[in-house]
Amino acid sequence: MSGLKTCGGFLIVTLLMTTPVAAQQPTPAGHVKIVTGAAFIVRQNTTMPARPGDAVFATDTLRTQGNGTIGVTLADDTRVSLGPDSEMRLERYVFAPADGALGMVLNFVRGVAAYVSGRMAKLSPDAVRLETPAAIVGVRGTTVVIKVGA
Amino acid sequence: MPDSWPRRASYVAFIVAATLTAACAEKSGTHSTPPTPPQPSLIALLPDPETGITGKIQVSNEFGGLPIVTPRGATLVKPNAAPGAVTVLSEEEVARLFGAALAALPPAPTHFTLYFEFDADTLTEESSRQIAEVLAAVKRLPVPEVVVIGHTDTMGEAKANVVLGMKRAMSVRNVLVASGIAPELIQVASHGERDLLIKTRNNTPEPRNRRVEISVR
Repeated sequence: MSGLKTCGGFLIVTLLMTTPVAAQQPTPAGHVKIVTGAAFIVRQNTTMPARPGDAVFATDTLRTQGNGTIGVTLADDTRVSLGPDSEMRLERYVFAPADGALGMVLNFVRGVAAYVSGRMAKLSPDAVRLETPAAIVGVRGTTVVIKVGA
Repeated sequence: MPDSWPRRASYVAFIVAATLTAACAEKSGTHSTPPTPPQPSLIALLPDPETGITGKIQVSNEFGGLPIVTPRGATLVKPNAAPGAVTVLSEEEVARLFGAALAALPPAPTHFTLYFEFDADTLTEESSRQIAEVLAAVKRLPVPEVVVIGHTDTMGEAKANVVLGMKRAMSVRNVLVASGIAPELIQVASHGERDLLIKTRNNTPEPRNRRVEISVR
């Protein structure tokens, strides 16, 4: 009897120990490259000071305070940066061209930001959407530029 | 209008001022506070910082939409109204309004494309020489990442090409590690046949698509 119990307990412990290892690590959406002053990553209600090299994940929020600034480079070479007193949420980020899965939604909540598009906007302009409280911005590739400029 | 609109895909750079009203509204933090009313947004299109080429954006909301194609073209979008008519910001205004954000943009990624000897995982002689340039690009960056992506042409099955792309990427990764790049800086991926350099139909042999792209960023 007690032998069975011990055995069961051991099984549970083993499961607990192996599950996190087996679980797939989420792929970072990108990395912090530049930080000046007070800049933070907000992940699931936890606010952490941002440092160069930190991974950034989909649904993270980037935030600066005072004169802080932050710059990140995403997995598809998109670059995004925030000026002082600014906030941006990485609402959605999927970059898996081999599976045909592409999608990026950046939600600019307040302050100032700069965005330089990367490979995703080239592969599928419709997959990229920038949102502000008042408008949605779509990024179009050069082919469309030629049409409009004509 | 410039008559030299680029025909090739290029980067588009623009900035978004989510809120230009005095950034006083530091979130008062509590979940019970009702959401703040929508703030006006100033949205501007800038030439690409590296190439100088200006792309195109489309700004829209439920009340309307408009394209912006002019360098430093901007629209002010007020709450509950269509995007305002496009104006052109001066370079001084861009610097004053967006200088701090622009200064925080990470350096542009550097790209290298390596090709293989036919039916082998050895690099061509020319591509071998590029390894030194990759090393130099890595050394220039304070927080470097090296992303190695394998590609194939459209011959054969898509699934098999993902595997083949990964083989090519791994072989480049091994060369980079042997050349002195720390393995933990390198990420490896395969896009198989879904990211062609030269667009072709399926089952088309195309040497220029059999490549490995390295992004140093």
